Amino acid sequence: MAANAAYPIIDADIHNEQEDRALLPYLPEPWRSRVAGSGIGYAMSGYWSPVGVMRKDALPPNGARAGSVPELIVEQLIEPFQVEAAVLTGVVYNISTTHDPDYAAAICSAYNDYVAHEWLGKHPSFKAAIAVSTLDPELAAREIDRLAGHPGFVEVIISSAARFPLGQRYYHPIYAACERAGLPLAVHPGAEGGGLSTAPTAAGYPSRYLEWHTNLSQMFMAHLVSFVCEGVFVKFPGLKLVLVEGGVAWLAPLLWRLDKNYKALRSTVPWLTRLPSEYVRDHCYLTTQPIEEPDNPQHLADLFNMMDAENMLLYSSDYPHWDFDAPDKILRKLKPEARRKVFYDNARQLYRLG
Amino acid sequence: MTVHVVLREEELAVGEARLVAVGERELVVYRLQDGFYALNNYCPHQGAPMLAGRVGGTNAPSDVYCYRYDRDGEIVRCPWHGWEFDIKSGRSLFSERVRVRSYPVVVEDGKVGIRI
Ligand code: FES
Repeated sequence: MAANAAYPIIDADIHNEQEDRALLPYLPEPWRSRVAGSGIGYAMSGYWSPVGVMRKDALPPNGARAGSVPELIVEQLIEPFQVEAAVLTGVVYNISTTHDPDYAAAICSAYNDYVAHEWLGKHPSFKAAIAVSTLDPELAAREIDRLAGHPGFVEVIISSAARFPLGQRYYHPIYAACERAGLPLAVHPGAEGGGLSTAPTAAGYPSRYLEWHTNLSQMFMAHLVSFVCEGVFVKFPGLKLVLVEGGVAWLAPLLWRLDKNYKALRSTVPWLTRLPSEYVRDHCYLTTQPIEEPDNPQHLADLFNMMDAENMLLYSSDYPHWDFDAPDKILRKLKPEARRKVFYDNARQLYRLG
Repeated sequence: MTVHVVLREEELAVGEARLVAVGERELVVYRLQDGFYALNNYCPHQGAPMLAGRVGGTNAPSDVYCYRYDRDGEIVRCPWHGWEFDIKSGRSLFSERVRVRSYPVVVEDGKVGIRI
């Protein structure tokens, strides 16, 4: 991309996919027969969109799933946009809304081995997220420990569709393991409302995908407030949190509200010795896609000035999904130095690349 | 204004679309029931290739909880973020101001030409 010729891009969210049977060689029994017989069987949200989930021009000609052909990702994204590093996030984190903790953990392990063997070497830009299930945090921690130190894995990823707010102590073994491994924790939406997860909005189940998708930001607000108030960043000072695909424009007003309430209610969270917003600034990143698009782009730039956006945002494309953001088409109001941080420097530091 | 001949009438059946080049421009020629139309192969939002967009109908404005499927074969949906455009005018279905550039098409002696 011409606007970016001076530096390459790091893309924090690319969804590689595979046929369910691709995991069979990595799955032990009894799970292998289950998947061979009836597929993985995710419990997705069930909401329908006329647009579909995939970019129509990203469907491989051979009828395979979008995102399943590494060469096509390279051709459509990596090469045209000079992507130096791409974090392959997969879709397997969605397994957390199914019901059997042992099965979910086995699927994650098989997927992680599959990615290590069949994706990481395919292109120098490919890095990956370790998928873990939140259905048994001890098993998730074991999986993170197992893969810690592998140079291709640059973060751990979990689903934002969960049974209760992600800051709560039940989940802490996952965060302890991330901190031990020196890996950021990414939280990604997708299965909200499916299986054993909570309703996808605070008000319950809306009627349509339009409402479901718009309200995903609610889920992120609730999880973020939980992370801070439960003292996750106090207990695990080395932990970095990446909020993927949850929107960004809501952050500043949420933190104003949280800081204001903290002034009165500090004694209920005495482990927080600084304003809540300061923990967020020190520990959290948000990925850009799907970026909010007000009619007047200056309005988004103004919101960014109300938070430390240039140091907290990571560019993400979400390729090959329908709400993909092309790097040369978004955030054009940002100053060149800020753009460089968002599209490159922040991710390079966070993921310790190059 | 010049007419650039891009294909012969019989090369495109009703319901089909074809990518054509006119100089530097990439255009998509659509053949609908009532004739030929041409749009830029570039979505005004983030630049997706319109050729990959599905053509179909849409639900026309209606009363609450009523659905009136209409204009089958006349609406193209961008292959990325799903914006809907009227193939005949290039106009988006959500705003007068947002449109894919469209070009007049002239058919003469079985030849389909685009006026630019
Ligand atoms: S690029 Fe066409 S709707 Fe976004």
